[in-house]
Amino acid sequence: MIITVNGDRQTWEEQKLSIAELLTLNKVEKPDMVSVQLNGKFVDKQDYGITMLAAADEVDFLYFMGGGKA
Amino acid sequence: MMKGFSSKAVHGDGAVKKDVHGALRTPLYENVTFEFENTRALQFAFEGRSLGHSYTRISNPTVEDFEQRIRLLTEARGVVALSSGMAAITEIILVLAEAGTNIISTKYLFGNTYSLFEHTLKPWGLEVKYVDMTKTAELKAAINEKTRAVYLESIANPQLQVPDIALISKIAAASHIPVVMDGTVTTPYLFRSRDFGVAVEVLSSTKYISGGGTTVGGLIIDNGLQDWGRCPRLQKAAQKYGPHALLAHLRREAHRNLGSCMSPHTAFQQTLGLETLALRIDRSCENALALARFLQARPEIKAVNYPGLESSPYHALAQAQFGGKFGGILTFTLTDKEQCYKLADSLALIRRATNINDNKTLILHPASTIFCEYAEEERQTLGVPSNMLRLAVGIEDVEDIIEDIKQGLETL
Repeated sequence: MIITVNGDRQTWEEQKLSIAELLTLNKVEKPDMVSVQLNGKFVDKQDYGITMLAAADEVDFLYFMGGGKA
Repeated sequence: MMKGFSSKAVHGDGAVKKDVHGALRTPLYENVTFEFENTRALQFAFEGRSLGHSYTRISNPTVEDFEQRIRLLTEARGVVALSSGMAAITEIILVLAEAGTNIISTKYLFGNTYSLFEHTLKPWGLEVKYVDMTKTAELKAAINEKTRAVYLESIANPQLQVPDIALISKIAAASHIPVVMDGTVTTPYLFRSRDFGVAVEVLSSTKYISGGGTTVGGLIIDNGLQDWGRCPRLQKAAQKYGPHALLAHLRREAHRNLGSCMSPHTAFQQTLGLETLALRIDRSCENALALARFLQARPEIKAVNYPGLESSPYHALAQAQFGGKFGGILTFTLTDKEQCYKLADSLALIRRATNINDNKTLILHPASTIFCEYAEEERQTLGVPSNMLRLAVGIEDVEDIIEDIKQGLETL
């Protein structure tokens, strides 16, 4: 599945992928410190695990705090 | 997982990043800027698409460490550290309100906060409505469609009025209005504002947290309770950042633009202070109660105001809200201003200085200092009579504090 994350095309072998799994694959260690937009729409944090991605989706991770990598 | 306040304060409990060299204390990053591997990475950091410090006015590792420790202790959504408590109050009001809108507050406030509202923000078109926060009917009547925040202090300084914060939060929440509470006097150790419905807590970390009056700082704590999409000035940010709207707006606009950042040096000092916060508060609360009881029994004193005294009209509420501790500030009245000056000038151990929650016990005549810009008549409405002294009780041995006051009273 090819997904665009923060403007970069990412190819994943997984056929099913939730936002929570995508965050893990992208090594976002503190998902509570990131807002996620799926195709331009904000996704509620409590829905990260149940929101499934589809091929060609565009996902943006938006960090609301300053800070180096966890 | 550690549960105790001090354990969390000392260790950080996972909220704090490990140092690359294994330093047990987060080092002081006393630098301005940060280098990126390529321009795109720098672009992403600016756009908020990656985690990265770019410029210390916006964020800094040492400051972040301090913010994350406060976040851990408060279980808040997020924390922004600032150059002072007044900067925190200014920033949050500027973000929530604007010209043509109003905030609701009380005249029982820290003098500089009242001055900020009356003299600094009113000329920009902000209306400030003052109500008696102990009369909920007044608060309900003051709320209208232009109200953007309810602002109060957990224990008013120096009036020592204690509002029913859960009740006030409930009233404000019915109209989707955030309660902004100054928790300087109580800190998150004595009062978990999140549990009482407070949307945003602001603090002067200069006081209890700094530990010994080392540095000036402030905090904005988003407790994560408010739907920022219901707050007109944050609707745009809420569309993009959802529940993180306030923090994102602060970090990516208001806080960045106002330049009221906490310095890394201050964050380093205040992280150290935070580790001993509970010990120092416990001691100063014990000392304040003992001192209040001593003063109450002295014939020279007209009245003692301390929520820890059974005679205080706020005693029962304070007991319930603050878990049996009542803060380190008390006030008392003498015959007149001259008697106040005479007593203050006769003290040897207690210092004549304006600060609260220093390690040292400090005495102040509020009417002639913090409230000096107001006429006597207005000071009366602000609850600051000219025959009142304020004691900000420190952590010395209480017998020594009492002995000093005793010898001072004997000079009257």
